[in-house]
Amino acid sequence: MTDQFAYPSDRESASAAKVQALEALLIEKGVITSTTVDKVLGYFESEMTPLNGQKIVARAWVDEEFAALLANDAPAAIAQLDLPDGMAGAEGEHIAAVVNGPGVHNLVICTLCSCFPWPVLGLPPYWYKDPVFRARAAREPRAVLTELGVPLEEDTEVRVWDSSGHSRWFVVPSRPEGTDGLTEEQLAALVTTESMIGVAVVEPPATVGSNA
Amino acid sequence: MKLQHTLGGLEGLGPVDFEKRVFVEEWEKRIFGIHTALMGLSDSLRGALPGYDLDSAGTSFRTTWTWADLRKGAESMNPFDYFKYRYYEKWLGGISGYCVEQGYLTEDELAAAIAENRSAADALVSEGPAGAIDDQVIRYLREGDSPRRGPATPRFEVGDTVLIANPPSGDHTRLPGFLRGHEGVVASVAEGNYTYFCSTGGDGLGDPVPVYVVRFDPAVLWGAMAEHRGSPVYAELYEPYLTPATHAEED
Repeated sequence: MTDQFAYPSDRESASAAKVQALEALLIEKGVITSTTVDKVLGYFESEMTPLNGQKIVARAWVDEEFAALLANDAPAAIAQLDLPDGMAGAEGEHIAAVVNGPGVHNLVICTLCSCFPWPVLGLPPYWYKDPVFRARAAREPRAVLTELGVPLEEDTEVRVWDSSGHSRWFVVPSRPEGTDGLTEEQLAALVTTESMIGVAVVEPPATVGSNA
Repeated sequence: MKLQHTLGGLEGLGPVDFEKRVFVEEWEKRIFGIHTALMGLSDSLRGALPGYDLDSAGTSFRTTWTWADLRKGAESMNPFDYFKYRYYEKWLGGISGYCVEQGYLTEDELAAAIAENRSAADALVSEGPAGAIDDQVIRYLREGDSPRRGPATPRFEVGDTVLIANPPSGDHTRLPGFLRGHEGVVASVAEGNYTYFCSTGGDGLGDPVPVYVVRFDPAVLWGAMAEHRGSPVYAELYEPYLTPATHAEED
């Protein structure tokens, strides 16, 4: 647990009591039903998860034509894959991919709020919404990436994408060395949420788990 | 302009808190679910491209709730409070305040329900067309609410140098404060024009407008505070935030 959550002991219980009272009242008033919130959460727990992004990235690694389409017209590329119904739904209406490669490392941020490509990556992790990350990543992304353990060559250009409009960007990380023999499914399993936002690189299987 | 509009580049901060979980406290899930449900039942969806049939959903929700409303709440906060409260605490304050303001419930009802420790499990439900409300919310999640409207009518083209405007931000803006007054170069022009959830008044959003990705040189944005090997920032900006650069007047 981090300092962010080191609050007076009733801070969380007060919020918990308030939100459950609010939900109960909205149900009684006919705004939502007793199952609405659970269905929303279920949608993100079972269908719109980072697994979708992992599959997209793995396909791009094994299929050059797909990779090219993904870079130029991500919605068209994503529509080719067998993914859940809703990849162009809420917060996926205008997905765009930024592609890492030799000399280029992309980092997606949202300095004004927390815009995130829900259908591709699921819901944003806490660090993405942290004002410290949002503030620092804009001006000193290399320092932030170094802190987070991302190896950067001196001449690699870091491109920072601030999600202030309608596009919801995600990063296509580079395929790690030593993965020639892996299947598309095995490749997908290597891809992390963090690598698809740009605060991590994808590690080859041998070193998976060593990066705490 | 408010501090929360100008987060980018703020100096003197410590290490990033690399908490990878989406929700840390269980209650945070519930306010996320409520927010998302209200977006899926928002009156504004009557104008959405998928053609939602809100009347058949049978919800008593009859007002507009979008990202813009959630963002307005956070942006209207005292900046020091903004940083005092955690992410979903701001959501809870904003959404419960909105529901009271719009008359869906009263402060007294909320206080009583909290005091009684009421929850969804013991909500008194009149069995109505419950499925239709949930179906509309899930349909919204699957079909979304694209802001694209009509063909592009861009004033600028790729390669143009533009000067970012500095309009009064009012209660809501989509212009990151650290870009104001700086020059950038148009990197791409979006296909089509794009509307926004609401009018932002003198800030300029609301009508369908062209949208650009603009590339900013780190030395231009940060001067001596740029990193040793500076990194460009690409921001997606609505046309009202762009003005032609007049190089003749520089220096």
